[in-house]
Amino acid sequence: MNTLVSELLEFIARPTVSDDDFNTLALKLFAHQFEHNRPFQKFCQGRGKTPRVVKSWRDIPAVPINAFKDLTLSCVPPETCARTFMTSGTTRGDVKGRHFHPTMAVYDASMLRNFAHHVMQGDAKLRMGILFPNEVLMPNSSLAHYLALALAHFGTPDSAYYLDDNGLRTDALCAALQDAQNASEPFALLGASYSLVHLMDALQARGQTFQLPAGSRLLDTGGFKGQSREVPMDAFYEQLSATFGVNRDQCLNMYGMTELSTQFYDAGNTTVPSVKRGPHWIRSRLVDPLTGQEVSVGERGILAHTDLANFNSVVSILTEDVGQASDDGFVLLGRAQGAQAKGCSMAVDDFLKAAQA
Amino acid sequence: MSVPVFKAGYLPGVDDADVTWHRLSLGTAHAPCLVDVPELNAEQMTALAQRVQHASRRHLKTMPVSDIVRVLDKATARLLDSHDVYRQQLERLLPQATGFDAEMVRLSLTSYLQTFRGLQLHRFVAEDFANPKVLDEFQPRAQGGWTRALGPELLVHVWAGNVPALPMWSMVSGLLVKAGSIGKVASAEPVFATLFARLLAEVEPRWAHCFAVMWWPSGAGQERTAFALADVVLAYGGNAALQAMQAHVPVTTRFLPHGHKLSFGMVSAAVLSVHKAPSVARQAALDVARYDQQGCYSPHVFYVQRGASVSPQDFAQHLANELAGLQHKLPRRVLALEEAAQVGAWREAHEFASLNDDTHATHTVLGAGAGDATSTVVYSDRALPLTAGPLNRNVLVVAVDALEDVVTLIAPQRDYLQTVGLATAPEELLHLGECLGQAGVTRICALGAMTAPQAGWHHDGRFSLLDLVRMVDIEASAEREAERFTSYEV
Repeated sequence: MNTLVSELLEFIARPTVSDDDFNTLALKLFAHQFEHNRPFQKFCQGRGKTPRVVKSWRDIPAVPINAFKDLTLSCVPPETCARTFMTSGTTRGDVKGRHFHPTMAVYDASMLRNFAHHVMQGDAKLRMGILFPNEVLMPNSSLAHYLALALAHFGTPDSAYYLDDNGLRTDALCAALQDAQNASEPFALLGASYSLVHLMDALQARGQTFQLPAGSRLLDTGGFKGQSREVPMDAFYEQLSATFGVNRDQCLNMYGMTELSTQFYDAGNTTVPSVKRGPHWIRSRLVDPLTGQEVSVGERGILAHTDLANFNSVVSILTEDVGQASDDGFVLLGRAQGAQAKGCSMAVDDFLKAAQA
Repeated sequence: MSVPVFKAGYLPGVDDADVTWHRLSLGTAHAPCLVDVPELNAEQMTALAQRVQHASRRHLKTMPVSDIVRVLDKATARLLDSHDVYRQQLERLLPQATGFDAEMVRLSLTSYLQTFRGLQLHRFVAEDFANPKVLDEFQPRAQGGWTRALGPELLVHVWAGNVPALPMWSMVSGLLVKAGSIGKVASAEPVFATLFARLLAEVEPRWAHCFAVMWWPSGAGQERTAFALADVVLAYGGNAALQAMQAHVPVTTRFLPHGHKLSFGMVSAAVLSVHKAPSVARQAALDVARYDQQGCYSPHVFYVQRGASVSPQDFAQHLANELAGLQHKLPRRVLALEEAAQVGAWREAHEFASLNDDTHATHTVLGAGAGDATSTVVYSDRALPLTAGPLNRNVLVVAVDALEDVVTLIAPQRDYLQTVGLATAPEELLHLGECLGQAGVTRICALGAMTAPQAGWHHDGRFSLLDLVRMVDIEASAEREAERFTSYEV
């Protein structure tokens, strides 16, 4: 496994890769997971897809994300893993999807390289405000870890969390935003989409808006999931832009999942739905959920991702998200109806609600 | 490419230009079908309801039931005639609108219509009224006095679109009790009620103003207006939708909801011989394939008894083979992405269960994994409780030691139970019927007959006609007292 990890880290660090490079490493990971993960092996055998016959990364069976709840998808004993990220378990009672990471080296390298490119956009550090609980409060949340990484690697010393077990720290955040505005210092506000809605509601109640300096950016992720009022995408970004004085091309959205080790970003939300793109170590397909076959060009399909950073779980996953191909990426068209709400961050709102009660 | 638009609705005495038309996009991306449905405002609704009530009082309430049956028989005969223009329209439009296979619609429609011929309709009436003349005039009662059954002045129907031609049951029921009717078509199937209303008006021109067919958005103002004017509201739909409707039905109006139902099959060891099992599996497969399991009477699970020469797992395999075979004869409709995702999730959940138990093959997914599988049979050796599947030809076969064991497995779904397709020997029939009836089941039929209820069935355990009428009694005392007031001396 250690050789695989080094190989992956080297792969992620490369400026670009060829199709062949991607394919070779994907097949290598597939063979590794097939060999060391018994439930996955049976899953593949049931589909007649073994390393012997699979010659293209497109043929690696995509494991439905529900399997992360029902099966133990790990090549090493789970108890030896450095971290376990869990879904919030809101859709099926207490059943949570679990994603085991033997080492955080790959996840972190994937996150940092991608974040630097899409969010930092050349800046080394930015003053950050995080609208999400920290890793101590949510040790099994991949998003909490993601934001902690962002803060630790790209945040200036005066960056801070503005959401804790007492809820949203609106006063402190307003002071920080005002401070940044006065000092003409760019500010990055990052957090769950619904936390931003809660914040905007709170600011609206105070009649307060900001005009953040040039170079400021906002990053939301995860959608609303019934945790705040449902805001149409266009209205959401319009309101974000108006409330913080940040152009919509700097209102970024990150699309990520507990079941992945790599995130997707858009280049702002001037128009919605925006095109999401991933780095060279993840590739996506739009498939028919029953046959697993790719849909015709231009048709809606269910998103399947092949994420090479998923070295210990399964390299290809089948989501419940509907998407449509768009030049060099895809647009998200929501969740497959009938499929339940994913709720990766239900816990967060529980924090908020408990704090408000 | 321009897609033809079907104009739905039947609005006697209303000018098309005066109503709002709402466009529905039906069919699939590859075979779109556009339907315009009419939406009336509250004022138009009230005026139309008054005309319908007036016309039905004049032309329907004055007609003997046997004459009504004759008219309906004539209409049914036309719908059974493949050369008839209405039949041809149904055969063309129903598959387009619903996406169901044309051959399946054609075959199912014919067997369905057979329950609406004269002979069956008379039986339908007799099922609820020992003396059908009670619908025409006061009839003497054995204990003295007189009695009469009066249908509603206005019956409002809210139809569902899961199964084509579903509105025929309630439209015919309404006519048999001489009710004026206003019906709301389902967005998913606005075709049948429209064409049936037009055909009836053609067959019996005096009925032209006795009913209307339209559409309105759920919960809209027109709905409240219609419900307020109705004597009886008969509604099909999901429980949440029915609950919302019920809130708008005045307490003085009778509300007859037909909500979500769950049906299943049972196969006794008595029928699982090597010779008989394949044909039983074929009948079970037909119940699954017809209307792609969209009916309230469609099976979600088959409980199969152990101990015969054909094991429950063998039966599951037969069923999977039959379903695969039926795909050629009666292809499943193309699923929307969302439906496909739901089916996929269900299959995978069972697949994961099978992956988890490494030692025994207690859980097997048959029919999936073969690439383009259009049906799935999941076999479980463990006694799983009855649950709803994802429809669209995906079923669970569960092995049990005795069919009586099923009673505890279905108990949690008591409020939703409807049909049981039962294959068993005669000596077990009444005993099992008793067990199932106690458990909440309202209909037991042969496998292969689940989707074709017999004429006069007690839908969800209720009376199709009796529930619609109001009984009027002239008690014996009135008659006795009247004797004192004769003009002549006794």
